[in-house]
Amino acid sequence: MSTTIFAPAERPGFAESSFIARVREAMQDTATVTWRDMVRTARQPEMLTFAVVMGVFFLLLFNYVFGGAIGAGTGVDYITFLVPGVLVITALQGAQQTSLGLAADLAEGVADRFRSLPMNQGAVIAGRTVADAARNLAGLILLAMVAMVMGFRFGSLVGGIAAIGLTLAVGFAFSWLGAAIAAKVRNQEMVGMLSMFWLFPLMLASSAFAPPESMPGWLQGFATHQPISVAADAVRSLTSGDPAGGDVLYALAWVVGMLVVFIPLSSRLYRNPG
Amino acid sequence: MRTVVIEADHLRKSYGDTIAVNDLSFTVTAGEVVGLLGPNGAGKTSTINMLTTLLPIDGGSARVGGCDVATRPRAVRSQIGLAGQTAAADEMLTARENLKLFGRLYKIPKSELLALVDEIIERFRMSDYADRPVSTLSGGQRRRLDIVAALVSNPPALFLDEPTTGLDPRTRNELWETIEDLAAGGTAVVLTTQYLEEADRLADHIVMIDGGRVVARGTPRQLKAQLKRDVLEVHLVSGSDLEGALALIGDMPEVAADRATNELHVPIGDGAGTSLQILRRLDDAGIKIADFQLRRPTLDDVFLTLTGPAAAKGGSE
Ligand SMILES: Nc1ncnc2c1ncn2[C@@H]1O[C@H](COP(=O)(O)OP(=O)(O)OP(=O)(O)O)[C@@H](O)[C@H]1O
Ligand SMILES: [Mg+2]
Repeated sequence: MSTTIFAPAERPGFAESSFIARVREAMQDTATVTWRDMVRTARQPEMLTFAVVMGVFFLLLFNYVFGGAIGAGTGVDYITFLVPGVLVITALQGAQQTSLGLAADLAEGVADRFRSLPMNQGAVIAGRTVADAARNLAGLILLAMVAMVMGFRFGSLVGGIAAIGLTLAVGFAFSWLGAAIAAKVRNQEMVGMLSMFWLFPLMLASSAFAPPESMPGWLQGFATHQPISVAADAVRSLTSGDPAGGDVLYALAWVVGMLVVFIPLSSRLYRNPG
Repeated sequence: MRTVVIEADHLRKSYGDTIAVNDLSFTVTAGEVVGLLGPNGAGKTSTINMLTTLLPIDGGSARVGGCDVATRPRAVRSQIGLAGQTAAADEMLTARENLKLFGRLYKIPKSELLALVDEIIERFRMSDYADRPVSTLSGGQRRRLDIVAALVSNPPALFLDEPTTGLDPRTRNELWETIEDLAAGGTAVVLTTQYLEEADRLADHIVMIDGGRVVARGTPRQLKAQLKRDVLEVHLVSGSDLEGALALIGDMPEVAADRATNELHVPIGDGAGTSLQILRRLDDAGIKIADFQLRRPTLDDVFLTLTGPAAAKGGSE
């Protein structure tokens, strides 16, 4: 057969580049994909509206309907207990959107285009999680404003900012879980169903709406230490203005742990679902 | 010698029990257009997807620009443009935004990108709908965007899987000219198509596959000549000459006469030589000829003869 003599064109990315260059490329590609996903978010504002409306719905429902019954056990004004939980739940719904969005990419065929491009493949997911975090930030701020109208108060400005920041970090970690599910399952309807499967038990068997002490013993252990409860407790101590400590570290440990597991896992599944 | 840009070397792909690509080899040099032809399910898309890193290679190997597709996918991706068989643009972005997105991911410098995208939109007459979301575009408009997206980075190796399916004749012609221009500029092109006219016009070299195997290869002219199915059609002035003419050239196999139109159909293997002999014989005998033509087989004839159930039965090649 003929021998191949092809002068390597000086094309970007032709040569296997250094580690530093690859990291820079990953960041650049993530920024590009983030831009793309934010444009998409802006074109479907109902996703943001939906997240906020759900949050408001939870606030109203739990505060006015169950508040009397549940609030008695919390020892504080129930709205003070409830708002951090609802903030965390709202961030998790953003993570659900990551799952659905990635599944839609894979269905639309634009994922095939990405796979044929000289880009960092992990950026497809990373960009989406960052864009979803940005949308989450907007949703959380809107929701916090509604909560304040309902009588909720942040203990301090710094505490409030830290609380929103921690909530975002938790949502970001769950976004990668959602991405891993979408990358594995791919089928859009299945992804939609599966995200209900993890969200609902985690949401209800948690300290988001009521203290776990009121739950049966066998559930308490799970309900106290699972990430949503830990996050809700940490956000609570940040919003109350108390000097926060252990529970914030615990929540951050969950965030880091989930990222360590789900970033490589979702990237691998995205490249090879098998 | 021209440099080899794309090299498929005994490629194999199977899905479970289905062998989609079976021992397929071909090369494409700079400036060459190779047409992959074959019926539905022949393995064209599987081949393109393996060469463009989208599909793992089960056997054999492939190189683009000297880089092995399996071991250096990243280097391969920086040298290819792909317009796959299925649409691959972001539905919610506009056509212009899609081109910007892909251009950025190709690492085209920001300072050049905007002007480049404008120029491309202008050149491919997409201005009317460039700023509408892709989901609102017609099938042909989307197809055009898909193909143009493959050209943004001016890649040395271009893969087009049924590029003109669904395009109107004018757009198709423009695309053909574009492909010819790109090839003239040194781009290596692999093209699959169902339009044999397209392969005839564009392809320097055709690889005809069926059931994942090569059934014929060569230039379009070689493939047609290989069929040996030229037909000489002679239209006589008078029907009364028909019998005499048949007697004169009765030694040719499978001569047919059409009494309604006074026509003779003489299959003559190949070449103009035999036709001249036949015409001279008729003329020498004083038979008046109103008209004649030499009908060459089309690529359709080649395709139908060499692929599909008929070919499998005949056990060609
Ligand atoms: N993902 C898959 N799983 C199982 N079989 C597949 C898959 N993709 C393709 N095939 C099979 O492999 C064979 C080759 O398919 P391929 O798509 O490469 O054909 P093609 O030549 O591109 O056909 P067409 O002209 O219809 O586009 C077919 O028999 C097809 O059914
Ligand atoms: Mg195909």
